[in-house]
Amino acid sequence: MKLLSTVTTVAFTTMLALGATEVSAQDKEPVRFGLCFDLSKSYTFISPQVAQAAQDLAKYVNSNGGLEGHPVEAVVRDHGNEPQRGVECYEQLKREGIFIFNFLSTPVTNAVLPRVMKDGNILMQSFVGRGDAVDGDVFKWVFPVGPTYWQQAANDVAFIKGQMDGDLSKAKIGFIYLDYPFGQEPIEILKTLAEKEGFQLELYPVPLPGSDQSGAWSKIRRDKPDYAISWLLAGGHVVAAKEMRRNGFPIDRYLSVNWLNEVDINNIGAADAKGILRGTNVAGGQEVPIVKTMLETYYAKGEGSGPESLVRDVYYNTGMAIYSVGFEAARLAIKQNGWPLTPESMKTAYESISDFDGNGLMAPVTVTASDHGGGGKTRVEQWNGETWVPLTDWSADYTDVVWEIIKESSAKFTVK
Amino acid sequence: MFYRLSGVYHTNYISDSRIYKVPADRNLALALLVLGVAAPFIAPSLYVNSYMLPWLIWTSAALGLNLVTGWAGQLHLGYAAVMAVGAYSAIHAARFGVPWEFALIIGGLSASVIGSLFAFAALRAKGLYLALTTLAMQFIMDWVLTHSPAISGGSHASLQAPTLKLLGQEITSDTGLYYVALAWCLLVTIFMLNLKRTGLGRALVAVREKDYAAAILGVHSFYYKIVAFAMSSFIGGVSGALLVATFFFLAAPEQFSVAVSIQALAMVIVGGLGSIIGSYFGVALILLVPGLVNGVVVTASEQLGMQINVETLAHIPNAVYGALIVIILLIEPLGLGKLYGNIRDYLMVWPFDQLRK
Repeated sequence: MKLLSTVTTVAFTTMLALGATEVSAQDKEPVRFGLCFDLSKSYTFISPQVAQAAQDLAKYVNSNGGLEGHPVEAVVRDHGNEPQRGVECYEQLKREGIFIFNFLSTPVTNAVLPRVMKDGNILMQSFVGRGDAVDGDVFKWVFPVGPTYWQQAANDVAFIKGQMDGDLSKAKIGFIYLDYPFGQEPIEILKTLAEKEGFQLELYPVPLPGSDQSGAWSKIRRDKPDYAISWLLAGGHVVAAKEMRRNGFPIDRYLSVNWLNEVDINNIGAADAKGILRGTNVAGGQEVPIVKTMLETYYAKGEGSGPESLVRDVYYNTGMAIYSVGFEAARLAIKQNGWPLTPESMKTAYESISDFDGNGLMAPVTVTASDHGGGGKTRVEQWNGETWVPLTDWSADYTDVVWEIIKESSAKFTVK
Repeated sequence: MFYRLSGVYHTNYISDSRIYKVPADRNLALALLVLGVAAPFIAPSLYVNSYMLPWLIWTSAALGLNLVTGWAGQLHLGYAAVMAVGAYSAIHAARFGVPWEFALIIGGLSASVIGSLFAFAALRAKGLYLALTTLAMQFIMDWVLTHSPAISGGSHASLQAPTLKLLGQEITSDTGLYYVALAWCLLVTIFMLNLKRTGLGRALVAVREKDYAAAILGVHSFYYKIVAFAMSSFIGGVSGALLVATFFFLAAPEQFSVAVSIQALAMVIVGGLGSIIGSYFGVALILLVPGLVNGVVVTASEQLGMQINVETLAHIPNAVYGALIVIILLIEPLGLGKLYGNIRDYLMVWPFDQLRK
């Protein structure tokens, strides 16, 4: 009997809640974004920050008139980094009428990609999935706004060139990477650039999960590269920092991929990490206008969508960047083609985004029908012991070389 | 009452070795089959294409693993690697222009060859040592896939599968793909049901129970172990190929990682070693329950208007799911198949057995 009464109570409350949401729903239909994230397994070092940024931004947009009057809704689900569950999440949200998705996981994005392409829905996949998806001629429905790993690596080389007075012919660049597709991706472009610029490239593979790097770093000690470009993740940076200290490699010659955040810095030790370099397309720190606004409007009053510590993390800025572009595209779509928002109008709007930088939040992006990446600009920032200091201006270099690789790779995608 | 045993008696060996000795079991199986065939018309399309289809394919794979682990008693920790061999060779064959029917068979055969190749090395080792050898196969496969773009398909190691085409028909609709999965699962199930009552099946069981005792009985255990590995790898290979052809449409190394191998083994163990119906249950529990529990928790929290942090919300289903596995194994260590068997036994002569008590 007790069980029965509990069930009745739950059912009754549910009915009440349902009624309540109907009454409080806004007059205009919402724009809904599907966030099928890995919130419980491998990507937890980034997904909570991004989800929180999306929710905060949605809240902020809604309290400021919405997107052309339509409220935004971020629907967050967990897929535990399992391709099977990612597909399930996609199929479920698709049936609920959502057509803008982000999976924030390479395996899941890859698994869903064929379905998205077939159904003609919008797939946001900044920083995850295949790099060649920036080729809008092939991947019509995919919008990986941001730099590809190829472009990041190329920009890193350009930065090093700048630091070495424009001459790389005598330089030696080390590339330390996790020995699986994420880390291997830049190798091809680095080799091409080594040939072009005449620098010596040394490869230092590190086995997953990156906790054992002693072999790689003792080799680095012998080779003495001028810079070490690093394609490691999370804890990998901490181990690398330890090894750098042990092997006498200066930490200000360690140039990381965009996946290096305050959590890693704290694990290295904020003071010890002073000087570490990071290539990024998103401005770090809390002085960025939108992040500052969020801290003042919500977190100062304890009304944020999650803990404040996650806001003081560069991945929160990354999430802000991903979703300010997404929301901007939706706004443009409604402005250009009115309601209802469709995948087609969303695609057209995305492709009309020009020189958008989210008010100093990120590298300005210009998305076109053939370049869905937005130009791939990044800059190098340095940790000064307290925050990120930009060393260069936003730029994208060697784009011709990068696009050659993109085109070569994307040409293999289409099959009958 | 549910299982009418009256009039059911076996007077010869053929009748005694029937698959369904009690008509009620056969009727139940037929009813389920009808449900399975009718599913695309009665179930919402979401359930058909994102729950039932992967469930059927994984069940075929789990049955294959059950053949080597449950029947022949050889612990296998590299089953996902076998599936990967099947998937990649079938897709490469299909991309090369080989018709899908043959591509699937090529996938199965190459998985079979690689699978039994490792079995050769493994046969000198037993028990846990064998498990480690198969685990080594998994790691070798992982390494090969992430280090050879020619196999894994280049950029971010993903290989697009051509559209599935069987008997000259392009299969693109959810219903069509579901029927392909259903057909394969049925085929494997029928094979496994029959395997039980053949000499081969009995030989495998003999090898499982004690291999040298089997040898004394004249069962060549070495030979039967190889056969078990080859058969199970064939089933795994084709299932892997179909998983990509009908569900993912693209193969990536993460779909066949070591975690997936462990999951497959978990499906078989939770389902029940050597149990066919148990494999169905085990796959449902391991593969589908996390997503379903997730859905239930999310809906419940939304409907009740609870403000739960997204991260917490993601971890509650994991806890529930973990607890569920522990509870099930506590109630019945022999798995879900045995649990079903217990219920069936209880109902067998119910309510007449109550009279005696």
